[in-house]
Amino acid sequence: MIENSFNRRDFLKVLGWGGATVALSGCGNTSVEDGREYVTSYVETADYIIPSIGTYFNSTCAQCDAGCGIMGRVREGRVLKLEGNPDSPINSGKMCGLGQAGVQAHYNPDRVREPLLRNGDKGEAITWEKALQLVNEKVASANPGSVAFLTGGVSGHVKVLLKNYLDAIGSDRHYVYEAVAPSVVRAANKKAYGVEMPRLRLDRAKVVVSFGADFLGTWVSPVHFSRQYAKFRKGVNGERGVLVQVESKMTITGANADRWLAIRPGTEGILALGLINALIAAGLTVPAEVAAAVKDYTLDRVSNDTGVSVEHIGKLTALLKDRSPSLVIAGGAAEGYAHGSQNAAAVALLNQVLGNVGKTVEAPASMPFPQMAPITGNRSSLQALNDSIAKDEVKVLFNCGANPVYSAPASMNMKESLKKVPFKVAFAHYMDETAMEADLVLPLNSSMEDWGTVVPEYFAEGAQLNIQQPLMEKLHPGTLGMGDVLLALLKQRRPAEYNGYEDYYAYLKNAMVAIKGALGGENEDDDVFWDSVLSQGVVKLTSSSNALVSSASAAGLQLPPPAAEDGTYPLRLIPAVTPNMRDGRHANEPWLQESPDPLTTIVWDSWVEMHPKTAAKLGVVEGDIVEVASKNGAIKGQVYVFSGIHPDVISVPLGYGHEAMGRYSKGVGANAFKILDPVFDQQTGELAMYETRVKVTKAGKRVIVVKDEGPAGGNQSGRRIALRMASGKVNLAEEV
Amino acid sequence: MYRFLRLSVLLVGLIAAVGSVAVHAAQPLTTADDLGPVVDQPIEFPHDRHAGDAAKGGMQINCMYCHTYARRSNVAGIPPLQKCIGCHRSIESVRETPRIKKLFEYWEAKKPVPWKKVHDLPDFVRFNHERHIQRFVFAQEKPVQEACGYCHGDIKTMTVARRQKPLSMGWCVSCHQKDHPVSATSTKTTHGPNDCWQCHK
Repeated sequence: MIENSFNRRDFLKVLGWGGATVALSGCGNTSVEDGREYVTSYVETADYIIPSIGTYFNSTCAQCDAGCGIMGRVREGRVLKLEGNPDSPINSGKMCGLGQAGVQAHYNPDRVREPLLRNGDKGEAITWEKALQLVNEKVASANPGSVAFLTGGVSGHVKVLLKNYLDAIGSDRHYVYEAVAPSVVRAANKKAYGVEMPRLRLDRAKVVVSFGADFLGTWVSPVHFSRQYAKFRKGVNGERGVLVQVESKMTITGANADRWLAIRPGTEGILALGLINALIAAGLTVPAEVAAAVKDYTLDRVSNDTGVSVEHIGKLTALLKDRSPSLVIAGGAAEGYAHGSQNAAAVALLNQVLGNVGKTVEAPASMPFPQMAPITGNRSSLQALNDSIAKDEVKVLFNCGANPVYSAPASMNMKESLKKVPFKVAFAHYMDETAMEADLVLPLNSSMEDWGTVVPEYFAEGAQLNIQQPLMEKLHPGTLGMGDVLLALLKQRRPAEYNGYEDYYAYLKNAMVAIKGALGGENEDDDVFWDSVLSQGVVKLTSSSNALVSSASAAGLQLPPPAAEDGTYPLRLIPAVTPNMRDGRHANEPWLQESPDPLTTIVWDSWVEMHPKTAAKLGVVEGDIVEVASKNGAIKGQVYVFSGIHPDVISVPLGYGHEAMGRYSKGVGANAFKILDPVFDQQTGELAMYETRVKVTKAGKRVIVVKDEGPAGGNQSGRRIALRMASGKVNLAEEV
Repeated sequence: MYRFLRLSVLLVGLIAAVGSVAVHAAQPLTTADDLGPVVDQPIEFPHDRHAGDAAKGGMQINCMYCHTYARRSNVAGIPPLQKCIGCHRSIESVRETPRIKKLFEYWEAKKPVPWKKVHDLPDFVRFNHERHIQRFVFAQEKPVQEACGYCHGDIKTMTVARRQKPLSMGWCVSCHQKDHPVSATSTKTTHGPNDCWQCHK
């Protein structure tokens, strides 16, 4: 949406004149700066540091919670580029685009550089001493039970310090919030397998059926799954694995699948039960109670409900019957409904009757130090905090790594809600929407300046502990690490215990050396052990596996029929989690805005994705600005017509439309979080992300969509590289 | 409406910017005899004392003792301060001279000496010291001071280094066109690479 006040022709004219003027005046050799530029040498240096040659240091990626091991190339004291750490079982030396953009989180010009205290509408810079003193005063004067921490997913030694601090002040209010998390699937897995997230062995499966789990793009541990996927494609004994993706809006995983089935939104569970019924008909033996539960899910009924043709259900049944072991995964698209738990349970049941539990669904390793194991977040936790705030139970609120003002639906009204908390402290990298509401903003080190340990939520092999170490000196002297702040606060509360540690580094080293026996260094000298840990970046722990049960049953499975059409709001909104933006916390890293979305190739804006049939019905074409209105609000966006989406739904990517945060994210696109309807999963109470009903109306203007591909499939058609076909004629479900 | 106004403002801006470059370019960086500008350094480092001939009071230290990165890296590198101190800590005779006192002040403050660049190339040129040192010093077994001197001149007679050669592309190419033996013992000859991308990449 570029306002055209100075057109291209004028620009070129000026450029031409400018070019001629430069040519006339001759080029100055202005980049040669001998006698003017400084050349700074080291005071002291190590033998392995050679100017102009990079040295690699291992650390851990902090861009998402997958916990990939990274190596930072450091040259002349600056980190330049990140690579994957080959020793990390999670990513085996690979990395994703989101991880690559990590250097832009570090060098970002919009980082908060000093503690800011609210003075009216402005933030006034204060010293850390004053800031921490203020925090101590406020916490001391508040009732212990009214001090709360709101964080994102947290693990390792920072989690231990946070727990100790909350214990020291006598509060148990730690709310862990993640805007986009597979919380319902976790709960369903816990019921079916006894663990929240089993180890999924894509590499052993011959068929993978994914119900909307975007495991190659955004789901749980995408880099690890991509690696597994490569092995799956190579196949066991040369038998290439077949991937079938069932979802209403195509994800990058769907785009990679052998067969992509566009399913009517919310009917994933019906298809799963229908498949069980069809498998029974094909000769699979299942427990009688399961057979009884699924007997009504006949081919015709399932096809009618889900919109997947009888032929395709038959093909899928044959595939699952013939090729074992298989693996069925429930992801974001299955869980995002009021009956999301039921959908996930139906998928787990399908896994069980196929005999996959124990073969491709394995028990994950357990973390031998549970105090460091990650706490995963969900949305009901934020709801709980919001309820407590409404009851005036929270007087001091610390916020770290969560941005609820941006990502909570408008119906929660977090911005107004936070105003009721008398003292709000935000630990922040950017002045994001939540930091803007804070009374005190404490600037954090970037992950490339900080010490820490990270325990990934999903272990690729055994349990592991990742090391985070600074890849360079702090860019801004006024920032501090979260660990350092917690330690400083703990020194006030428990001086006897913590005064011995000069800083978080000293604490961390001491804590790691204290458990070196369990970390495989029992016979090593303390310093030798510590150095080897830092150089490896990953510590593999000896651990036992959690027990896996297979207790999925048909009892209590209640799948509602496909939702009836809503006259006023005829379409469903799928808030898409894209590999670049995810939940929007990294929107201020320009590489992520600039790199095209893998499916639509759109850059620097959000879009409203719809099927050609839907677009025709609405009378819109690509580039039309439309208003997407739900019962809870409306956003505007440019239409993008795409065949990889069910005609009953439209999709708007998450992560855009920030009102604050920084120069690269503010005002770019629209925030789809804000218009979500407050519909919740009936069992877990999680927000059902896919339940929002919307209507789409033309808002008048038409713009040129800024994207990488050209019109109608791009220039490839013109060059006869790809077959030309009008996008309205392509039915991806039929093509593959 | 304001289109022409906007155009002219942009044009005037461009001409002003280009003009300032032109004024700058009018002051040549090189003098007629290709000497670079005299560079004031924080410490007037006596190259002649360190590397000069013994007959003239020099210590005849190999260039690569201090510029140790030249044979391993693109850049020759300014030695780390700890290298200076490593020797000077045990040279009592000059310990109280003004330059050495200043050197130790930097060391005690753990601050690097703010040297200024003497030899610089435009950002679009990649010069590699390692390749040249490996060829001339190690393959052809030329004396180090001679090999370094091809580009840096007779540093052993100078105090603070000053650029002696133009370091322009034509000057580089004039040498790259000359044949030279591939090694000290070989009769085979070759010349330096003349591909654009060797330096412009």
